Amino acid sequence: MSGEPILELRGLAKRYGAVDALRGVDLTVARGETLAICGDNGAGKSTLIRIISGAQPPSAGEIRLKGRTVHFASPADALQQGVATIYQDLALAPRMAIYQNVFMGSELLRRSPVPGLKLLDKPAMRQAAKGYLGRLKIRLEDMDIAVNTLSGGQRQAVAIARALRWQADIVIMDEPTAALGVKETRQVLDLIHEIKGQGITVLLISHNMRDVVEVADRAAIMKGGTKVADLAVPGMTPEGLAALIMGDG
Amino acid sequence: MTRQDAIARFGTLAGGIAVFVGFSIASENFLTLANQLTILRQVSFLLILALGFTFALITSELDLSFANVASLCGVITGGLIHFGYNPILAIAAGLAAGVAFGALNGILVTRVKIPSLITTLATASVARGLAFMATDGVAWVGRWDQSFVWLGRGRLLGLPVLVIWSAILAVIAWFVVAQTRFGVWLTATGEADEAARLAGIPIRRMKLWGLTLSGLFAGISAILLTASLSSAGPTAAGDFLMSGIAAVLLGMTMFTPGKPNMPGTLVGALVIGVLSNGLVLIGAPYYVQDIALGIIILGSVAISASTLGKAAFGI
Repeated sequence: MSGEPILELRGLAKRYGAVDALRGVDLTVARGETLAICGDNGAGKSTLIRIISGAQPPSAGEIRLKGRTVHFASPADALQQGVATIYQDLALAPRMAIYQNVFMGSELLRRSPVPGLKLLDKPAMRQAAKGYLGRLKIRLEDMDIAVNTLSGGQRQAVAIARALRWQADIVIMDEPTAALGVKETRQVLDLIHEIKGQGITVLLISHNMRDVVEVADRAAIMKGGTKVADLAVPGMTPEGLAALIMGDG
Repeated sequence: MTRQDAIARFGTLAGGIAVFVGFSIASENFLTLANQLTILRQVSFLLILALGFTFALITSELDLSFANVASLCGVITGGLIHFGYNPILAIAAGLAAGVAFGALNGILVTRVKIPSLITTLATASVARGLAFMATDGVAWVGRWDQSFVWLGRGRLLGLPVLVIWSAILAVIAWFVVAQTRFGVWLTATGEADEAARLAGIPIRRMKLWGLTLSGLFAGISAILLTASLSSAGPTAAGDFLMSGIAAVLLGMTMFTPGKPNMPGTLVGALVIGVLSNGLVLIGAPYYVQDIALGIIILGSVAISASTLGKAAFGI
């Protein structure tokens, strides 16, 4: 690992009743790094991500973002502090327009002739949304079409464009290729390369070791709620990684 | 826009125009200016109620209480006028009752987590009971304060004021939904509540607003109806439940198919107004209207469902 740390987790733990879902996880992520979080079902990946994304508070431990201790009240709060999560089900409003999805919850406004009354700045939002998608090498002309008319890869791009809109430092992607075909998986991997190229830190949760080997710089392997390995990915094979997850760690 | 798209968006509008033309041919009294103004006046109560219901439905919540709440608001305002209170106080009390019922619906749905179908069915019953309790089951009729009565019967620039009030409210409702952040948040809440929540939109507050606005519009409609009739009865607005729902559902089949929308509600209310008026003019028996409303409701939801490829309501 190189570069200044953007995210540091120290002794992160989560208990659900009598169950220890996460036990003292330490993890440091460098700015611009792509870190894969791997592990079998029940290893604690999802719990870890829910905490980093602000969906749940940890039972113990500390999250440091850009050198400061942070507490996320909600995913929206985490987003405002620079941590954007692209959820498995994408968390888009399928029947709403592309630009409305990109700006959902943080719409651009303009003044109106009536003092105190601000109106939606639709032209600015359309243009900016097109710009974000352009940065992801996604060419779409009409920002007014509904998201449910897009391909799976394009939808991922809309979700990522929202992260760009928030100028997120960290983008968490939870199984981004799980439901996609070969061609769309390719598109999503290209998207990850694009955001990496822009210096954004990516946390990738994936069961697909080929994806991990292709895009990740480093992999943290989870088992039974703890981190059992933390290794550089370049040079590894998908089979080698899978063996680490399945084996004794 | 493809041909199929155009049919989905404007098919119902074309159907409405066809109904209009049909009545113009079938009845010589239909197309007169006087009758057209009568239709607009009659539609205004329905339209205002339907605009309110649209706010609730945009957030994906039902409000089956708006008609009975309107009757209760009418009884409150009419009763205060009838017994000689200041009209401004009477109007404020009627509006407050509408807002209070709407907010109560909203709190029961978002905080107590009772589905809106059940909540508003129950509060409809409560409102109806209160209206009967207040009036002993009879309508108050009288020679009321003329300035109050003007709100429902007056004319301005040659038009019935009712038409002006309802047009203003329709424009405001459309504007709020289409041009403000508040409107987008209402829409996002109804379209994808989980996505909206993750984006930081306070979805419970938006649903509370949707139902409260439905109550407010019920109050406004009630005051105009009471002024127009110069009377307040416990079931005065009861009949608007089915026609109001039909107007909104019919509206969902146009412009943005499958989504509740204000322009659609406006056209939906006009179509239903034309239909009720035309049926009377061609001498159809009174019960034909009920049958027509039922068919419109079923047909509208079926059309919405087929354009969406799934059920129009996840409620």
